[in-house]
Amino acid sequence: MAPTVRSAWIQGLHSLAQHPGALGFLADLGAVDRLLTLQGDPSLFVVTAAGQLLVHVLGLALHNCGPPCGPPLDPQWPLLASSLLAQLEEALQPASTPQLLQALGVLTNAFTSCPAPWAPALWGRLRPAMTCLLEGQPLQAPHALGDLLLAVARSPEVVVDLGPWEMLALVLGRLEPSQGGQLALGVLQLPECPQALRAQAFGVLLQPLTCVLSTSTDAPGLQELPPSAVGGSASLDLLLASRSACVGLLCCALARLALLPPLPWRPSPWPQAFLLGAVVAVLRSCNGHVPISAAGGRLCAALVGCERVQRAALDLLGALAQDAGPPELVLEVCGVLLEHVDSPDSSPTVLKKAFQASLTWLPHADKKPHPCGLQVPAQLFLPELLQVLRKRLCSPSWEVRDSGLEFLTQAASLWAGQADFRQMLQASEVPPLARQLLRDPESYVRASAVIAVGQLSSGGLWAHPGDQQGSPLEGLLDMLDTDPDAFPRRAILQVLTAWLRDTHGPLAAHPEPLLARAFQAAGRDPDWEVRARGLELAREFLVQTLGRIGVPCPYVPTPLLDTPPADTQALHPACRTRLFEFVFPALFDYDRPVARAACELLLLLRAQTTTCATPPQAGDTPDPATVEAALHCWRTGEAGRPLGELVPQAVLAVLQALDLDDLRGTLADGSDHAEKSPLSLLQDMLAAAGAQGHNQVDCY
Amino acid sequence: MCGAPWLVLSARCPGGLAPSRMPEIRVTPLGAGQDVGRSCILVSIAGKNVMLDCGMHMGYNDDRRFPDFSYITRNGRLTDFLDCVIISHFHLDHCGALPYFSEMVGYDGPIYMTHPTQAICPILLEDYRKIAVDKKGEANFFTSQMIKDCMKKVVAVHLHQTVQVDDELEIKAYYAGHVLGAAMFQIKVGSESVVYTGDYNMTPDRHLGAAWIDKCRPNLLITESTYATTIRDSKRCRERDFLKKVHETVERGGKVLIPVFALGRAQELCILLETFWERMNLKAPIYFSTGLTEKANHYYKLFITWTNQKIRKTFVQRNMFEFKHIKAFDRAFTDNPGPMVVFATPGMLHAGQSLQIFRKWAGNEKNMVIMPGYCVQGTVGHKILSGQRKLEMEGRQLEVKMQVEYMSFSAHADAKGIMQLVRQAEPEAVLLVHGEAKKMEFLKQKIEQEFRVSCYMPANGETVTLPTSPSIPVGISLGLLKREMVQGLLPNTKKPRLLHGTLIMKDNNFRLVSSEQALKELGLAEHQLRFTCRVHLHDPRKEQEMALRVYSHLKSILKDHCVQHLPDGSVTVESILVQAAAHSEDPNTKVLLVSWTYQDEELGSYLTSLLKKGLPQAPS
Repeated sequence: MAPTVRSAWIQGLHSLAQHPGALGFLADLGAVDRLLTLQGDPSLFVVTAAGQLLVHVLGLALHNCGPPCGPPLDPQWPLLASSLLAQLEEALQPASTPQLLQALGVLTNAFTSCPAPWAPALWGRLRPAMTCLLEGQPLQAPHALGDLLLAVARSPEVVVDLGPWEMLALVLGRLEPSQGGQLALGVLQLPECPQALRAQAFGVLLQPLTCVLSTSTDAPGLQELPPSAVGGSASLDLLLASRSACVGLLCCALARLALLPPLPWRPSPWPQAFLLGAVVAVLRSCNGHVPISAAGGRLCAALVGCERVQRAALDLLGALAQDAGPPELVLEVCGVLLEHVDSPDSSPTVLKKAFQASLTWLPHADKKPHPCGLQVPAQLFLPELLQVLRKRLCSPSWEVRDSGLEFLTQAASLWAGQADFRQMLQASEVPPLARQLLRDPESYVRASAVIAVGQLSSGGLWAHPGDQQGSPLEGLLDMLDTDPDAFPRRAILQVLTAWLRDTHGPLAAHPEPLLARAFQAAGRDPDWEVRARGLELAREFLVQTLGRIGVPCPYVPTPLLDTPPADTQALHPACRTRLFEFVFPALFDYDRPVARAACELLLLLRAQTTTCATPPQAGDTPDPATVEAALHCWRTGEAGRPLGELVPQAVLAVLQALDLDDLRGTLADGSDHAEKSPLSLLQDMLAAAGAQGHNQVDCY
Repeated sequence: MCGAPWLVLSARCPGGLAPSRMPEIRVTPLGAGQDVGRSCILVSIAGKNVMLDCGMHMGYNDDRRFPDFSYITRNGRLTDFLDCVIISHFHLDHCGALPYFSEMVGYDGPIYMTHPTQAICPILLEDYRKIAVDKKGEANFFTSQMIKDCMKKVVAVHLHQTVQVDDELEIKAYYAGHVLGAAMFQIKVGSESVVYTGDYNMTPDRHLGAAWIDKCRPNLLITESTYATTIRDSKRCRERDFLKKVHETVERGGKVLIPVFALGRAQELCILLETFWERMNLKAPIYFSTGLTEKANHYYKLFITWTNQKIRKTFVQRNMFEFKHIKAFDRAFTDNPGPMVVFATPGMLHAGQSLQIFRKWAGNEKNMVIMPGYCVQGTVGHKILSGQRKLEMEGRQLEVKMQVEYMSFSAHADAKGIMQLVRQAEPEAVLLVHGEAKKMEFLKQKIEQEFRVSCYMPANGETVTLPTSPSIPVGISLGLLKREMVQGLLPNTKKPRLLHGTLIMKDNNFRLVSSEQALKELGLAEHQLRFTCRVHLHDPRKEQEMALRVYSHLKSILKDHCVQHLPDGSVTVESILVQAAAHSEDPNTKVLLVSWTYQDEELGSYLTSLLKKGLPQAPS
């Protein structure tokens, strides 16, 4: 029987086993025994599905019988649960490794899903078998065992008992330091845990870094460490046993440590100085700086040019930016980051991470307010960083240019208000370079350049505001018309919307002609996301011209109470930009998100204008036949303008003629409803059955 | 995820100890195991873990769309378990899950693909994302930014370039045909290797060449088996049939819709129609979806070296991808009267322009839709191909009166081609993926019979384990090598030969050094070990005379060796010493004492056997 059939059989049983009454039926048919047998299936999918169902059956059996009766640690077990547990316990024998692994997996999941009152009883029942397992030599399935103990430790009803903690400490102690990292991380992620165990686990995670620091002459922060973190020469030998061992061990340790800083219960005292020192040492070794000691030389030989370690170390460095550290170490961090951003050997992925980490560390370089603006480290760091950025924006690799532009955008949005930053940026050649990249051959880079230029313009970060080789606005609008790729065009509309929101932005004065161009371009764009972004721009413009319109709050009876209803005069700016020539056809756009966005926009507009105090005067309003002709024209995508130039009265007439609520309902359905409907599926199945034997397998 | 066995990959110590180098190769398909669609195969080789392809299933829009990556590891980061991901080509069933895997699941390691795949892959991913978000309203889907971030992790490779992923793992790409940039990959750790074919085509088509691989003799060849039982008819027949149908429809004033994906088969069909239109001097317009022709043209120009020989040769005079008859399509052309041919995307009629045109043209029996490839269940393409003539679309009934034709132009190797590749690569074992179980079974038997190698066909989630001979690297000292060089023998991988030395195991390393160096390094004194043998010969003459006779005899036979008669009466040949002595009991018998060192064991044994045969009669 094919594994897919076995999987499907288990899924069928799973559907059946949703009701407690089905349990007896399944047990009587021997389904539970069969599921236990399937734990040895060659297919991972079958094993997993069988394990899931066993956990479900156990949980349901326990739910079914209510809270435990009898002594808390030895209650009366329901028959099905008891027999299932007995078989799982039997598998918890040190000799039966494959079965042991499966049983531990099922029990781990059972702990997370069993009813809370039963957790202590389950632990009480398993404890002897676990103790026996822990006494085995060598320790069998230590990782699966650790997972089970962690699941037990997460159960609040059980943790009053010291058992799981003691066992966790025992497993952690019996694992090689290099093997215990994952379990140590699991322990440290537990919100509540005895301090001694936490220190032991933290020590395991720190040990590789202790070895790294021990190879250098000055090792900052070693006194902050728990004793378990300080390994001897044996640990160092283990670390340096081979290049792949060293790389693997360090990557795992760095990645796990990077998860700790955000935890509210992270180890305390937190050895920030030590960690910074160690990460800097690792990154320096990767860049070929050889520490004086012989072990340092070996370490450097193992790590030099290793991208995997660089990436993991830079991630940890970024995570460590949550706290600062001693100023001299902050300087070192800035130095090593600069080295990585500057090094021609840094790969694009390493460079991207170095930029990201620089972004998180720059505020620390400027922690305290300084009368002149930036603090000394930042004053040293930033100009150099901008210098390197200039170089990177000219890189032949599009990935590097793009990451550089992303960094520039983020830096500009964070520190546009900093006088020193403004000055340094304007003094650098970075802004004109960013502008040049609007003509980059790579569409991703052009899109990032658009965003960066938008950000620089919003922040007034051009070198000479009065003379900017012309405003970038014109150039962007030209790009909107001509760029062959959708990403830059989408970015342009995003920038225009942001500028429109910003009352002091480049669009603050006389936006109408520019917006008219933008709406026209968006309306005929082949990419639906460009059209959708165009509608966002249209909405923003309407918000500004009509006052606040937005999603009505369901808890406010009159959502627009403080906004006077718009009169037809208020629609004139929108009409002048020919916004409605874009929005009305968009309502019938073939691409659903565009139609939906247009519908939502018009619904809001209708809510704003139906209470219009001045009813349209006879003669101004187009007759229903003309409106209908216009609707037909938009619906079919035909050219021509039955309504001529859309004036406010015509807009209101169209709004009234449209059944927007009905349209909203239609658009809310996914267009793949044909695939999902039972009728469609049945037709597919019948057709497939009819065609069986004739169809030939084919693919792309 | 629940259950236990996530031990799909090599048991790499999570802490990063040296990976356990089990002498075995393990392969687990998460997709494409007895299945077409969603290719994703995990390979563990000599402690290195590699994911081959990361595809999605076009037929699903739920969890089943992407492979279940939680099987790779339950604990720890994927990046720490996987050494790299390799993408064979840009089709979505091979790369569609990549942004999800790298940006949402969290794989942060390197992704390898060829340059054309790197260029084209994001276009198709973006297309797919737009359709998923647009038509299916999916909110929790990868974004354009994620596609870009994913592509930044890509390392592009050239054909036949050996790329070192790390100190031990190397990969090499071979030409696979199929689509622009498609490659087969050899994955090698030490002396163990696996070849993954991806999708390939063993016969050249109008714009691409045939797949090729050298006789790399991998431990395992993982090959696609889409056409495991089919010997495909001549491509010319299919092409003629296609042109005939298009021509007939156009002649009677009908419109032809050909739903295609942006790049790949579309270009093949465009070349076909362009040539036909030119030859027949036809006037009916041919259109291609806006924007895509330019883009496709750009990539084919950029990667001209990946196309077939004919296109490369004629490129200087005429670029085959610059079409005279094929123009960009505009939405307004749909309602134009008269005949036309339109290539529109997407290829399964599940959304976008092709579906829009289909809805307009479906009601006219003069029109025709030609589906040139596979359509997954649930799509309009699948429905009409399975014969449904009444479709419910957006609340309205649509009657399909237009002719519906299916013509397979997919470029996969047929059974003959697969056998040819196996013959070419000479693997120790074969593993079939990307095919139907029943058909695989047939091919499996054929491969086992013809090549006398094991053939496997695991289902998704099943692991195949292949034992391999462990490879133990041994360093050779420079001194020893120099000594060999002095003998004028240069190392030659094709002619292995014996090299004598002393194997030293120290610091987890093996080194072969000369015995002198070994003694020196280990601080040991040298002891000479000699083998000795006594040969009894019946001869009444004196010992000195006997020795002289031995000398003359050996001198006449061992012409290439230095045979000496020493003043003390003994005879030497290299380290071999022969002394004649009288027998203690029988004066007519003499004893020859022969001794030699282990270095001359061969010669010593030969000489002993020679003496045992006796000495030639002395002249009287």
